[in-house]
Amino acid sequence: MTMDRAQYSRRGFLGMGLAAGVITLTGCGGDDSGSSSSGGNSTAANLVMTVWGGENDKTTYQKRLDLMAKKYPDIKVTLQLIPNDGYAQKVQTMIAGGKGPDIMQVAESVNVYSSKNQIQPLDDLASKAGLDLEKRFGSIGKLYSYQDKVYAVPDRSGAMIVYYNKALFEAKGIKAPTADWTWDDALGAFKELTVPGKQWGYAGSGWWAQWWSFVYQNGGKIIDDSGKPAVASDEVIEALQWAGDLIFKHGVVPTQKDYANMGADVGGDAAFANGKVAVNTTGFWGISGLTKSKIDWDIAPLWKGKQQAVTAFGSGLAISRTAKNPEAAFKAIDFLTSPEAQQQIIATGQDVPANIEVQKSDAFLKPAWMTKPVNMDVFGESSDFVYRAPFIPAWNEMQKAFDDGLADFWLGKQDARTALTAIQKRLETIVKPS
Amino acid sequence: MSKLRRREALWFYLFASPWIIGFIVFLLGPMIASIYISLTDWDSFTPPKWVGLENYTRLLTEDPVFWKALWNTFYYAAISVPLGLVIGLWLANLLNKQVRARKVFRTLIYLPTLVPLVATAMIFKMVLAPAGPLNDVLGIFHIPGPSWLLEAVWVKPALILLSVWGAGGATVLLLAAMKGIPRELYEAAEVDGASPIRQFWSITVPQLTPIIFFNLIMGLIGAFQVFSQVYILTKGGPNNASQTMVPLLFDEAFSFYHMGYASAISWMLFAVILVFTLLAFRTARRWVFYETEVK
Repeated sequence: MTMDRAQYSRRGFLGMGLAAGVITLTGCGGDDSGSSSSGGNSTAANLVMTVWGGENDKTTYQKRLDLMAKKYPDIKVTLQLIPNDGYAQKVQTMIAGGKGPDIMQVAESVNVYSSKNQIQPLDDLASKAGLDLEKRFGSIGKLYSYQDKVYAVPDRSGAMIVYYNKALFEAKGIKAPTADWTWDDALGAFKELTVPGKQWGYAGSGWWAQWWSFVYQNGGKIIDDSGKPAVASDEVIEALQWAGDLIFKHGVVPTQKDYANMGADVGGDAAFANGKVAVNTTGFWGISGLTKSKIDWDIAPLWKGKQQAVTAFGSGLAISRTAKNPEAAFKAIDFLTSPEAQQQIIATGQDVPANIEVQKSDAFLKPAWMTKPVNMDVFGESSDFVYRAPFIPAWNEMQKAFDDGLADFWLGKQDARTALTAIQKRLETIVKPS
Repeated sequence: MSKLRRREALWFYLFASPWIIGFIVFLLGPMIASIYISLTDWDSFTPPKWVGLENYTRLLTEDPVFWKALWNTFYYAAISVPLGLVIGLWLANLLNKQVRARKVFRTLIYLPTLVPLVATAMIFKMVLAPAGPLNDVLGIFHIPGPSWLLEAVWVKPALILLSVWGAGGATVLLLAAMKGIPRELYEAAEVDGASPIRQFWSITVPQLTPIIFFNLIMGLIGAFQVFSQVYILTKGGPNNASQTMVPLLFDEAFSFYHMGYASAISWMLFAVILVFTLLAFRTARRWVFYETEVK
């Protein structure tokens, strides 16, 4: 007998319901209770805003909304926090049930919604409100665009950065990593920092955000300018092969076996915090995990290949098609991304605020909660190197194609060319040029 | 109809109504809707587009992942269900003996069924690690253990191991049934000189067949619908080597936004489960014995 009957994880439960041969998404028609544009005031509104994350995210968003309540008392925003891995499904069912949020947090999969006309283009609202996206957010101002229209305003945004173990670097007499390191410099340092079987120079780059950075550094592209997949090109193959060679040819990155032996769900972040790997590349969130770690660490910008390129993490705020009062919703977003509200994002240590002015402020460079001096300039420095990742509507399917197609590659059983040629074929059936 | 009977019928429907309404609203309605959805191309946001049987033909002729998932599901069901039954029967038989601390053993054997699956999966990740305890044990016998969850060949056996871990659920049912077997049968057999093994095969097993049958049906349905184990332990990886039907349709519906396609998968799964359940019922006449039944 299987164990299903006793364990009802939420998704498991949902899955079992589905398996009965049913998808229970219908019914539950929308009634419009709760919509109230009372009073004659055009911006007075009750809005629902969905975001993902944990406790700290909830606190931070709520603090920002509280600030807004003071400034615009007639706009009421109810915050709905949804755990990370249930977010997309929850929002999907909310929309399908006719009760979509007014403001929703979006990220890489933004164009799932924009391509299906579930969120509104914001260009007109922005120009009406006098908001210059590129002035406020720099190069990422129009990151969340689809077919030349902006669908979300950047809210949180930080480049992937290099975390390095200062003590290990100093012991080997290696200088701190810089943006000018080449692949060879990085490899040289990793080799010196590796103690076979015990300690590794680099945590590895099996995650798309990591190896895609190398692809773009090498002049490759995942999706070319005409919207077609381009992963079987020499530039992409060379970059991926370099990432794979770090594991199997040079032995400076733990294999999946090594990681599995470190404990359940131990990845680069945890291995770095334990001092098992000397260098790790990840986002801002690594910092909060490390403030309590015993190792001596600092951060640096990512090294470069033929050119600088690095993945950025972040999220934006979008207005759904069903929003009762788009003007009020935009007013709220405008305020939430203003310096006053964005300061909260760093004050609580949640993330990197997308607002450039805040990124350059002392509040960001020397956060009160930081237990040691950390080179926070790195985020500003890296922001110039951020490449434009292809946020295609079929983002999730594309990621799955990579996961499946690279499984053997990351085990060292296949070379990059074979793997990527197969993935290219698969992607050609998934990605339809827009 | 007499007044009394009509009143009785009214009460019947009144008391049965929670179930009837629940069935129609939450099961039958969505089921019918999903037949329609399976004939459309629907992303769950924009209006569905009618495509006829295209989803089904694509599933059966073009989608390699579907066939892989179907094969994996068969593999999993074909091994985990009989294995779970055999182990359950064995454990129940052991617990039925007059051993010391029988209640403690009974609790211990049932306990794994009560541990939340997420916790179990985390423990299994450690147990199944390439240098984990399981491979250490294998190492004692000079068997080089594989990287269970990382290798395409070994990931399905690893999932089956996890399912066997929950055999305690069947054990409890079988044990209860064993206790219900009349002592006279054993006494009579003993007088006739039947060995304990002969008694087990000729009395215990036939008497248990209704419960074994129940466990077989529930086990089959559960195995075909396996979800949480796969989702938590491997997410279907590596390269769909452990992908099964329900995680596949979950991905299609809620990650790739192919509601129509996912509905088609769910109906294929429904058909598969139906066929196997019917098969089990057909053969049941030959090997399941009910005491009250006269043949």
